[in-house]
Amino acid sequence: MNTAIGAIENCRFCLMCRHVAPVGHITHNESVTPHGIALVAAMQRQGQLTWNPSTLDVLYAEPDGGNCRAHCVTDQPLPAAIAAIRAEVADDGLAPPEVVRAHDRIAENHSAFGSYEPATKQGEWGLFVGDVGFNLAQETMRAALKLLEACELDVVSVGCGLDSGFIPCSLGYPRTAQAQARLCIEEVQRTGIKKLLVLSPQDLFAFLQMHQERLDIAWPEDVVIIDLVDFLASQVPNLKMIPPAGTAENATAYVDPTHAVRLPRRFDAARTLCEVALGYAPLELFWREDRAHPVGSTAIQFTRPDIGVRLTEARLEDAINRGAQSIVCDDPVTLYELRLRNESNLHIQGLYETLLTQLPPHS
Amino acid sequence: MEWTGLQPEMVRSELTEIVGDAHVSTDDADRLVYATDWFWLPQMWLDRGEIPRKPDFIVRPKSAEEISAILQVANAYRIPVIPWGGGSGSQGGALPVFGGIVLDTKRMNRIIEIDEKSLTVTAEAGINGKQLEWAVNEKGLMLPHYPASANCATLGGYLAPRGTGTISTKYGKAEDLVLRMQVVLPDGHILRTPIVPQHAAGPDFYRLFLGSEGTFGVITEATMQLDYLPECRLLRAVLFEDLTDAIEAGRQIMTRRLEPFVIRLYDPRSTASRVKKILGYELEGAYMVLGFDGDKDIATLQEEKAMDIINGFGARDLGREPGEAWWNHRYDFYYPPQSLKLPWMYGTTETVTTYDKIEKLYFAEKKAVEEGYKEWDIDFIGHFSHWFHWGVMVYTRFIIRNPPDDAKEAVRLHNRVWNTAMTAVLENGGMVNEHHGVGLKLSRFMRRQYGDAWPLLDRIKKTLDPNGIMNPGKVGFGH
Repeated sequence: MNTAIGAIENCRFCLMCRHVAPVGHITHNESVTPHGIALVAAMQRQGQLTWNPSTLDVLYAEPDGGNCRAHCVTDQPLPAAIAAIRAEVADDGLAPPEVVRAHDRIAENHSAFGSYEPATKQGEWGLFVGDVGFNLAQETMRAALKLLEACELDVVSVGCGLDSGFIPCSLGYPRTAQAQARLCIEEVQRTGIKKLLVLSPQDLFAFLQMHQERLDIAWPEDVVIIDLVDFLASQVPNLKMIPPAGTAENATAYVDPTHAVRLPRRFDAARTLCEVALGYAPLELFWREDRAHPVGSTAIQFTRPDIGVRLTEARLEDAINRGAQSIVCDDPVTLYELRLRNESNLHIQGLYETLLTQLPPHS
Repeated sequence: MEWTGLQPEMVRSELTEIVGDAHVSTDDADRLVYATDWFWLPQMWLDRGEIPRKPDFIVRPKSAEEISAILQVANAYRIPVIPWGGGSGSQGGALPVFGGIVLDTKRMNRIIEIDEKSLTVTAEAGINGKQLEWAVNEKGLMLPHYPASANCATLGGYLAPRGTGTISTKYGKAEDLVLRMQVVLPDGHILRTPIVPQHAAGPDFYRLFLGSEGTFGVITEATMQLDYLPECRLLRAVLFEDLTDAIEAGRQIMTRRLEPFVIRLYDPRSTASRVKKILGYELEGAYMVLGFDGDKDIATLQEEKAMDIINGFGARDLGREPGEAWWNHRYDFYYPPQSLKLPWMYGTTETVTTYDKIEKLYFAEKKAVEEGYKEWDIDFIGHFSHWFHWGVMVYTRFIIRNPPDDAKEAVRLHNRVWNTAMTAVLENGGMVNEHHGVGLKLSRFMRRQYGDAWPLLDRIKKTLDPNGIMNPGKVGFGH
C-alpha cells in the first residue's frame, strides 16, 4: 500500500483545513471537503461503503491544488493519498470513462491537450514550457521567452507540449506519470540544461515535490529548478522597464495561480512583477496568497469537470466582487482556464505579456 | 434503518421544489458523512464497523424563506429536522439520531453589512468563522470569538451551543457578542429580535435561542459586536509549583479587573503531557499562559500589575517566548495525530462554577474518575481557560488508551465514565457544560441540572415545536 494513504486515517478525524477547502466552498457539501473525502475513502477500505457512482463522485472531487496540506500543522499528504486510492480504483477497472480517456490521451501523446515537440537545441539555461503553455497559451510562452532574451539569457525551450506527470499522477495512473517524469528529465539532460526555469507552477510543483514524493523519481542534483516568477523578479533592476502611463486607478487584481499555495516563495515575487507591469500594487483578491484557491485547471477538469468550471467561476467572481476591472496572472495554465470560462467584462491579461510592453525599445 | 417507498419520494419532491434538485441529496456518501459529527460515540461506532443512523435527506437552503418552507414540509410529514453548520460539535448536537432532514446552512454565507461606526457585522449563519474573521480583519476589525473550531465552524454554530473562544476572558462568549438574530421558528415563522439586546422593553426572549442548539428554531442571521484589532498582544508564561496558588492568582487578576484576554492554566498532569507534546517544554507544575492586548501602554501596565500578583505566589516567570509559542500553536492541539483520536476513548467533561467551588469540584471529579476507572488506567487532565469575574471554567478530559474493542461495550463504559464525572460536577455546584453545548451527549443530564426549572423549558419547547420536529433527542428534549 502507498504510505501516503495513511493520511486518510488522520484527515477523516479533522476539519481544520475547512476554511481553505475550495471544493467545500463552492459546493457547500461536507462530503467533498478533505475530511469528507478521507472519511468516505476510509469507510470504503473498512467495507462500510463500496465504490459506486455516489462514492466515486466524492473520490474524484479532490482538486489536488494543495490547499489542505498548505494549512496542515501535521503535514498530512491527503492529495497524494487520494491519488494513490484513485490508482487502486483504476487498477480495479472502476475509474470513470472520462478519466480513462484523459489518461489514454496522455499515455499515447505525452500531452493532454495537443502534441509534444522535443527540443533539439543545447544550452545551459532552459525554460520548461509544459503542455498548456505550448498547446493552449503560446502567447504567454513567447512573452516569457522575450523577457528572458531581454535578460540576455540564451534559453532552450523544453517540455514543449509535455505533461510533467502531474495530470496522470493526480488521475490515478502513477506508472504513466513516472514515464512522463522520466521524459522530462531525459529531455533536460539531453539538452545539457543545468538551470531550468519553469513557466507554470503546476509543473514546478511536480518537479520540486511530486516526482520525489509520489513517484519516487529524483531529479539530477546538478540541475537547478527555478520558478520563472522568482527569476524575473530578481532581474527587474536590470531590465530598465518603462513605467506604464496613466495608471492611477487600482483596478487590476492579481490572481495567485493554481498551486501557488504550494510555492509560497512566489507570493512576493509575483507582486513585485505586477507593480512593474501595472505601475501600482495590484488589487488583492479575498482568496489570495496562502489561501488562494485553484481554478479548474488541475486533473479535476477530467475527474469532475462540473466542479472544475465552478472553481474557475469562483475566482472570476472573487475579482468582480473586489471591484476589479481586469485581472493579471503569470501562469499559462490558470490564464487559459480563466479566459475559457470568463463570460463577464473582466479583462484578463498575462503578466509576462504586460511586462513585455514595458520593455525599452530594442531591448 | 432505511426509510423507503412512496412517502420519502413525496418528501423529496417537495424539498426539491423548495431548494432545487442540486441541493437535496440522498446519496450514499453524503448520508454517511452527515451521520457523524465530532462526538466520540458516533465516530467510534463507525470506526468499529457499525453504521450510525443516517439522515434521510441532506438539504442546503439559500435563505430563511427556504428554511421556513422546509420546516412546514417537515411538520406536515412529522419528520425530524437537524440544523447543521460546520459539523464540528463534540456533543452530538448535529446527529440525525432519528433520521430526517439534515439542514446544512453553509449556502447561507453572505456578509450583509460591516458597520464600521457601531463596530458590528451582520452575516448569514452559515458563514465559516475564519472567513468571517478574514473579512472583518480587512477593515482593521476582529470578531473576538476565537474558538479552536473557527476554521470549520459557522456563525450559527458559534451561537447555537453558546460557544466560547480562546480570548473570551476579556471579550466574552459568543452569546455576549450577539446583538440581534434572525430565527426561523419550528412552524416556519421568521422573526428578528430587536436591534440591541440591552434595553428595558420587556423580557430578554432572544436569549432563548442561544443554547437551544436548533431545538427551538434555526438561527439564520446574526449581528455581532466587533472590536478593533489590538495594537499589541503581550503574552508570557509562568510556572506555579502548586495548582491551588495558580487558581488563586487567576482569581485575583480577574476580580481586580486587570482584563487579561487569556489566562490558560494547565494542571500538572496536562503540563507534563499536552504542553510537552505540543510545545515541547518539559516542566513540572502548573503552566500558565497570560495575555494582555489592546493599547500598548495600558496592556503593559495591566501585565505589570498581574505579574505583581503572580510573583506574590512565588511563580517562575518563563518569559515571553513560551507564551507566544502557545499563542502561535494554540490550535495545533487539535490536528491529528497530535489530537486525541480513536482508537482511544476520550471525553471533555468541561464545566464552570464560582471561585469558591471550583477547586473542590475539580479535585472531586478527578478523584471520582481516577478511582472509579483505575482498572482502565484512565488519565484525567485539565486546564482552566475561560475566566469570569465570579468564577472559572475547567476543561477536564478523560482518556482511556485501551478501551473495549466491542462497540456496544465501549458505549457502556463511555457513558459510565460520563455518569461519574457529571455526578461529581453536579454534586459540587458545577454546570454540565460551559461551552461545547449539550447535544445528545449531555441531554440525559438536563433534568438533573435544572431540577424545578426544567418543566418551564419543557413547556416552552412544546409550545414552540408541538410536533417535536426540531433536533429531537438533544438538549434534554425528545426523550
